[in-house]
Amino acid sequence: MPVVVPPADPAGLPAPAWLLQILLVFTFILHILAMNLLVGGSVMMAVSLWLGKNSDFYAELAKRLSKALPVTMSFTITLGVAPLLFVQVLYGQAFYTASVLMAWPWLSVIALVLLAYYGLYLVQFRPDWLGKWVIPIAWLSAIFILLVGLLFTHNATLNLAPAKWAEMYAQSASGLHLNWSDPTLIPRYLHFMVAAFAVAGLGVILLAMLYRKTDPQWAEEATRYGARWFVVATILQFAVGLWFLVKLPQGIMMNFLGISTLDTVLLWAGVVLAVIALLLVQRSALLATGAVTLTIVLMAIVRHRIRQMFLGEHVNVNALPVNPQWGMFIIFVLLLLIGLGVVGWMVWQFAKAGKAEQSATT
Amino acid sequence: MEYPVWDIPLIGGGMLIGIIAILHVFVSHFAIGAGLFLVLTEQKARRENDEALLAYLKRHSTFFILVVLVLGAVSGVGIWWTIGLVHPTATSALIHIFVWAWAIEWVFFVIELLAAFLYYYGWNRLDARTHITIGWIYFAGAWLSLFMINGILTFMLTTGRWPETRSIVDAFFNPTMLPSLVIRTAVTIALAGLYALITASAEPDESLRERVVKYASKWVLVGISIIPFGGIWYISRLPAQAREISMGGAPVVTLFAAASIVFSAFVFLATLVGPFLFPRRFHVTFAFVIVALGLITTGVTEWVREAVRKPYILYSYMYSNAVRTDEVQKVWERGVLGTAKWALLSEEDKRDPLKMGEKVFRFHCQSCHTVNGVNGIKFAVKGWKKEFLDVQIQNLDQLKGYMPPFLGTDEERRALVEWLYSLNNPPQQAALR
Repeated sequence: MPVVVPPADPAGLPAPAWLLQILLVFTFILHILAMNLLVGGSVMMAVSLWLGKNSDFYAELAKRLSKALPVTMSFTITLGVAPLLFVQVLYGQAFYTASVLMAWPWLSVIALVLLAYYGLYLVQFRPDWLGKWVIPIAWLSAIFILLVGLLFTHNATLNLAPAKWAEMYAQSASGLHLNWSDPTLIPRYLHFMVAAFAVAGLGVILLAMLYRKTDPQWAEEATRYGARWFVVATILQFAVGLWFLVKLPQGIMMNFLGISTLDTVLLWAGVVLAVIALLLVQRSALLATGAVTLTIVLMAIVRHRIRQMFLGEHVNVNALPVNPQWGMFIIFVLLLLIGLGVVGWMVWQFAKAGKAEQSATT
Repeated sequence: MEYPVWDIPLIGGGMLIGIIAILHVFVSHFAIGAGLFLVLTEQKARRENDEALLAYLKRHSTFFILVVLVLGAVSGVGIWWTIGLVHPTATSALIHIFVWAWAIEWVFFVIELLAAFLYYYGWNRLDARTHITIGWIYFAGAWLSLFMINGILTFMLTTGRWPETRSIVDAFFNPTMLPSLVIRTAVTIALAGLYALITASAEPDESLRERVVKYASKWVLVGISIIPFGGIWYISRLPAQAREISMGGAPVVTLFAAASIVFSAFVFLATLVGPFLFPRRFHVTFAFVIVALGLITTGVTEWVREAVRKPYILYSYMYSNAVRTDEVQKVWERGVLGTAKWALLSEEDKRDPLKMGEKVFRFHCQSCHTVNGVNGIKFAVKGWKKEFLDVQIQNLDQLKGYMPPFLGTDEERRALVEWLYSLNNPPQQAALR
């Protein structure tokens, strides 16, 4: 079977490849942070609802998570739109092809997200009306969200396998393929999901900070609880990460084991920062969060490097013609800055009003 | 033809996009109008010290975020998902031409979402002035994201001077961009009133219900009244061929265009005779009837807008079947299967005209036709003899102005004729005769 790769779009890149790659990786990091809180948080909420039947602490945790999760879902989606745009600009040849091959499962992401989202809102707004159904609904939302993650992993790995495309398409054009045969699929998926539990653990610690004054006892217990999730998931991650690394094709794996200095440093600096976060989490959650954020930044870059290694010359974005639209780019940057200002102002107003409200009630 | 074609039985790609897109249009336009409705009505309620109206708005805003933030946002992403699967080449072109326009739209989208949350959660928390300001920021963000999308969407039908200049300014500020913006803004106002009729009619307090129903019905009437002016302006800016298709060139399209006008009139009349004149007797069932009429209007109108773009997907730049107009000559020389690498025909398959014809159909025709479903080719060619099929295919763009030219080689054309003929005359049966 020949390797068939669609030709690049004749319009060329609307900005130099390096700039688009930075935007892709940067916006992907934002999406991943929100996604981690959503995935970990929704599972944590389902667990807490169940344990909350006999425990005030868990009941309260579930309630507080239920208020935060729909907003987190919204931001996961919104922040996902930007990397989806840049990935289509840079890697459309791979992205559209892989997506067509798994069209129906890929389209089901939309339905799963919609159902999970409404489930989260039901749990937040109508827990009494749901009665005993609240736990199954919360679980269903969590499972749908986990499934969406799995489908994204199928898509992402299939993106990286040009050699498989023609054979898959020759077999069937119905868009029902998945990428189960890929040896990196499961470890890659677990690598992302286990990270989500760790980050959501940190998220609970940060959530507890908001209640330090109003509900100190709960805040203290929540801090310990969040730290436990973070520590357990991060230790587990060392095993999962190693599994993912050894399942990479040898030529790619060796780049991270000394062959390429840059790649080796990027990966292992990320690992070291995760270890530092483990040591710091009991003392300062904020420093641990900083270290973990840096780990995520480094790992996102590593992920991008792995994509380039897999695609090689099949899709080489650095070789594409560039047809820059600098005027439009500058307008975008200006509007982005204004937008961030507006967002900052709104959040500030909201936070300020919250403090006034708190001091008025106490 | 550069990408693999996703084989969707019965409903076909166009219908799949249509289902998701019409849902999204109906929700997203409401999302924008409702922003204006909420903030203007809040100002009115605060000015008049109307606590009851304010309480209604709070309830209405719950409905608003459940519809807008969830269904609106997710179905919007859904359109993107679907067009990428059904029309990857055209989607890629739109992404590359408009990448920074999309990026700008994303900035407005982020502002819009955050403002919606803070407006909703800020009813009791923020002071009146800040709350209203955030309401206005929401509306500005939402309308500006419409402004951006509208420029990209109208480009598909009226590429204007872009094919010559290749300038993003010409692409975005294309001939139908402004009239379409007027129509869509008017639709947002009408839909804001329409959805408010639902929540208003469910209010238990009779006098409040009557007041809000009457008030909301005015939004519907004002919104719909603006549409014809935008509509005439819009039609005057269409390419001549698109106008012809909508006014008799293709009977089905003409029928739908007429239906769009008739159903708009129905919505107007139903609103006038129902909630506007008799707000006291207005019932939630009737609200849903008007909403259903509105949904039908949206559906047929968007369908017509899509249909008149034929034979192009991006006017005069790319045909519906993803062949760019500047590569017609090249495809014509190489043939369909010589261009479509995804056909993946073996040497054995190439000797079988039925297999070859099926592949020609998939890569050249299937972006608009299914075999036996929506726009099904089996029914279209029923009773056609082979000679007739051959003449039709040779002169496709001449005989049917809304179809692109057939670009296959003679061999491919003959194979396609065999395959099309076999749909209604299975080979075994034919042999028996």
